[in-house]
Amino acid sequence: MRAERAAAAAFVVSLLASVALVPWYFAGGGPRGEGILLGLALGGLGAGIVIWAVALMDTPEVTEERAVHFEHDTSTVPGTVTVARRTLLVRLLGGAGVTLATAIGIPALSLGPRPGQSLFRTLWTPGARVVDGEGNPIRVSDIVPGQVITAYPENHPGSADSQTLVVKVAPESLALPEGRADWAPEGCVAYSKLCTHAGCPVGLYRAESHELLCPCHQSTFDVLTGAQPTFGPAARALPQLPLAVDDDGYLIAQSDYTEPVGPSFWNMT
Amino acid sequence: MGGLVVAIVAVTVSSWVSSDVGAQTPAPGDARDVFVSSCASCHGPDGRGTEDGPSVRGVGAAMVDFQLRTGRMPLADPGVQAHRKPPAFDDEMRAALVDYVVSLEPGGEPVPFVDPVSGDLSAGQEIFVASCAPCHGATGSGGAVGREVLAPSLARAAPIEIAEAVIVGPGEMPVFDLDRHERDSVIAFIDYLQNHPDRGGADIGGVGPVPEGFVAWGLGMGACLAVVLIVGHHRKRRPGERA
Amino acid sequence: MRRPQPVRWVDERLGAGHWARKALKKVFPDHWSFLLGEVALFAFVILVATGVFLTLFYRPDAAPVIYEGPYEPLQGQEVSAAYDSVMRLSFEVRAGLVMRQIHHWAALVFMASIVVHMMRVFFTGAFRKPREINWLVGIGLLLLALAMGFTGYSLPDDLLSGTGLRIAYSVLISVPFLGPYLAFLFFGGEFPTEGIISRLFVMHVMLFPALIIGMITAHIAILVRQKHAQYRGPGRTETNVVGKALWPSQVFKSTGLMLLIAAVLAFMGGLIQINPVWSYGPFDPTTATAPAQPDWYIGWLEGALRLFPPVEFTVLGVTFPSTFLPGIVIPGIAFTIMTLWPFIEARLTGDRAEHHLLDHPTDNPMRMAVGVGGLAFFVLLTLAGGNDVLAVTFDLGVESITNFLRIAIFVVPLLSAGLAYRLARDLSKVG
Repeated sequence: MRAERAAAAAFVVSLLASVALVPWYFAGGGPRGEGILLGLALGGLGAGIVIWAVALMDTPEVTEERAVHFEHDTSTVPGTVTVARRTLLVRLLGGAGVTLATAIGIPALSLGPRPGQSLFRTLWTPGARVVDGEGNPIRVSDIVPGQVITAYPENHPGSADSQTLVVKVAPESLALPEGRADWAPEGCVAYSKLCTHAGCPVGLYRAESHELLCPCHQSTFDVLTGAQPTFGPAARALPQLPLAVDDDGYLIAQSDYTEPVGPSFWNMT
Repeated sequence: MGGLVVAIVAVTVSSWVSSDVGAQTPAPGDARDVFVSSCASCHGPDGRGTEDGPSVRGVGAAMVDFQLRTGRMPLADPGVQAHRKPPAFDDEMRAALVDYVVSLEPGGEPVPFVDPVSGDLSAGQEIFVASCAPCHGATGSGGAVGREVLAPSLARAAPIEIAEAVIVGPGEMPVFDLDRHERDSVIAFIDYLQNHPDRGGADIGGVGPVPEGFVAWGLGMGACLAVVLIVGHHRKRRPGERA
Repeated sequence: MRRPQPVRWVDERLGAGHWARKALKKVFPDHWSFLLGEVALFAFVILVATGVFLTLFYRPDAAPVIYEGPYEPLQGQEVSAAYDSVMRLSFEVRAGLVMRQIHHWAALVFMASIVVHMMRVFFTGAFRKPREINWLVGIGLLLLALAMGFTGYSLPDDLLSGTGLRIAYSVLISVPFLGPYLAFLFFGGEFPTEGIISRLFVMHVMLFPALIIGMITAHIAILVRQKHAQYRGPGRTETNVVGKALWPSQVFKSTGLMLLIAAVLAFMGGLIQINPVWSYGPFDPTTATAPAQPDWYIGWLEGALRLFPPVEFTVLGVTFPSTFLPGIVIPGIAFTIMTLWPFIEARLTGDRAEHHLLDHPTDNPMRMAVGVGGLAFFVLLTLAGGNDVLAVTFDLGVESITNFLRIAIFVVPLLSAGLAYRLARDLSKVG
C-alpha cells in the first residue's frame, strides 16, 4: 500500500540522515548541516511512525466508563481521635513546627547585604575630577557643542552607579531649575546616566533637539531644563551633578548628586 | 570679444574631449549656479539660511561632503528627516560644491582621510557598542530615537561617510570625539558587520527578540499546529466500513 | 504469543504486567486539540535534552577573563567567564551553536504551546469541576516556565539580557517597604553584582526544573485519575470516555508527535539564527542595547512598562515609583484573575456541577468575552513591548505608535470582548 511505502521511505530517510551526521560532525560540523540532518533524522522517524498510526493502524474507537463519582469518603481515619484528643500537645507541636520552619529560613537573609545608604549615594565627592571611560580628566574647553560624553568620578572609571552624561550647550539656551545657575560652567551640564524609570543607561542623544532618550522604554529627557521628562514613562528628572571648573581648566564635581540616582524607591524622600 | 570666443570654444572643446559624459570638470562658476538652483531655495542665495533651512556658512567641508555624498541633500521637503538617496551630483561637482560652500565662510572640519585597514577591529567593536549601537542598533540595522526621528541603517555606509558623520554629527546625531585611529577602528568594525555572514543561519532582521518572537509563533507554532492537525487526524469512516 | 523472557522477569518481581495491561487499555479521546498540551511537554523534553548538553560546557561564573576565541571583534576584551563559555559553545564546540539555538527556539515554542494549550482549556471550560486543581497546577507551570525562560536567557551575561536584569531589579525595588531589601537579597547587593549569574544558574538548572517535573507529573497523574474530558458527540456522555486506547494508537501518535516537534525545532535551530550574543557584546552596566526587548513571553511586562503614563506619587512619605503600577500591581491583578478563574466563573454562573463534556467556545458567551478581551489585552501589551522596532519597520514615529497603543489598550479589548459576546450568543442560539 502507498502508506506503507511512504512510512518505509520516511524511516530510510531518517536512517540515512543519522548516518550522515557522523561524517559531518567529524568534518568540522556547522549549524546548518547539523540542523538539517538532525531535522531529517528526527522528522523521518516521526513521519514514519505517524503515517503508521494514522493510515495503517485500524484502531477501533472504544468506550470506557468513568467512575460515576469517585468513592467519596471523608470520614475520620481510625486512630485520629487518640491523637487529636491531646490538644495541648497538638497545639505546641504546631507552634514549634512553624517556629522551626521560620528559624530555618533566617539564613536566607545572608543572601544579600542590607540596602543601608547605598541607594542614596554614588562615588562622586566634592572636588572630584570628571574623567572619561579611560580615566582621562576632561577639560571644559575640549568639549564640543553637540557632543555627549559618558563620564565618571576620578579613580572610578566605569562605576555603574556613578555613570554621568556630560553635554555642552549654548549657555543662554539653558533653563535650569532654581538654584542651579552655577551648576553649568560654560554651558556644560551633567546628568546621571541611570534612567529614573527602570535604571537603564540613557544612551541615546538627539543633539539638535537636546533630548536624551532611554532605549528601554523610550523615556525622554530635556537637557536644557534640567533633564525633565518630556515623553515616556519616567516621572522624575534625571538628577543633575553640580559642575565647576578647577584652576587647570578641568571639569570637577561640586558635590555628589543631591538626590538618589536611578529608579525611585519607597523611602527616597 | 575675442576672449569670450576663446572661452566658449575652450569650454565646448573640453566638453567634447572629456571621456565621461556629464563628468566634466566644472568651471568655477558652475558650482555657484548649481548652488543657486538646487540649494538656495532653503539655504538662501548666499548660504545664510532661510526659514526653511539653516545657514551653511562655516559648517565645514566634511559636513557638506557628507550631505551630498549620501544624497541627503538636496532635500525636497524640509519638514521631514533627510534620508539616504542616490546622490544628485557626481564626484567632481560635489567637490566643486564643497569648495564653493567653504569659500562662503571658512571654518569647520575638513574632509577626513580614512584607512580602515589600519583600524583595530576589537577596539572598533568597543567604541561601536558604547557610542553607536544605542541609536543604530547592535548590528547597525537602525533604530527609533524618538520624535519621529530614525537613526538609519548602516548597511550601505561607506568608510568616508562614517568618518564624516562621526566628526560633524549631522542632524540629530551627536558629535563624537574620536581620533583618527579610533575612527578607522569603528569603520573597520562596521565593515565587518556589513560583510560577514551570520554564523547561526538566517538573520531575521538583526533586531533581536521581536522578530524572533514572530518567527517562533508564525513558523514554530505554526509548524507544530500543522503537525498536531495531521497527527490528530481522523480518517472519516466510509459508509459500510467496519470500525 | 508467549511473553518474552525479560517481560516475565520483571513481572515476576513487580507484578507490573497486570498493571501495565490495564494502563495500556486506557481510553483517551482522539481530538487534535487535546494534543496541544503534549506539544508543550515534548518541547520541555527537548529543552532538557539540549539543556544538559549546554550545562556541560557553560560556566556560571561572572569573574572576568580575556576572550581569546575566533570571533575577531571581541578578541582581547575582558568578558565574564559565563559569556566566554557561551562564546566557546557558539564558535568552538562542535554542535554547540545548533544545540544553543535549538534550546532557545524550543523555549519560545514551549511558551507559545503553553499559551495555546491554556486557551483550549479555557475556551472549552475544561477547568470546571473536578479539574480546578489541574488548572491551578497549570498556572503554576506557566509561571515556572516564565521563570525558566527569564533565568535561562540571562545566563549568557550579554548586554541585552543584562539590561533585562537591570529592569527586573528596578521593578523589584519599586515595591514599597520591601523592595530594596528583596532586590538586595535576590541579587546579593546593589546592581550589578557578580553573584547573580550563579544564582540564576542554580534556579534554572536545578530548582525550577525539579519543580516543573514534579508539577508535570502531578498534572498528568490528575488527568489520568480524572480521565480526560471530551467533546460532545455520538455515544459520548458525562459518564464515559470515548476514544482510542493508549496502545498502540496513542503511544504511536504521541511518539511521532514528539519526533516531529523535535524535527521542527532542529530545522529552526540549524537554519535560523537566534540570540546572537556576540553581536550584543558582553554585559556592561554603563551602556544599553537598542532595540532592547526581552523574549516574547516577557513582552507583555515590557509593553506595560512602556505604555503606562509617568505616574509617581508620594503618600505619607512613601514613594510609589513609576514602575510599581505597571510592573507589579497590574500583572498581579491580571494573574490573580487568571489563577482564580474557575472559582470566579463558578460564582458568576452559579454552575457547580461536575463536567466531563466540554463546551463549544460559543456555549458560554461571558467566558468567551472575557477570554477574547483578556487575550487582546495581552497581545497588545506584547506588541507595545516592541514599539521602537515597529517604528523602524513601518517608518513611523515611536511616539505616535506609543500614543496609539495607549488608547488601543482600552478600546480594543473592550470592543473585541463585546463582539465576541455578541457572536457567541448569536451562534449558540443557532446551534
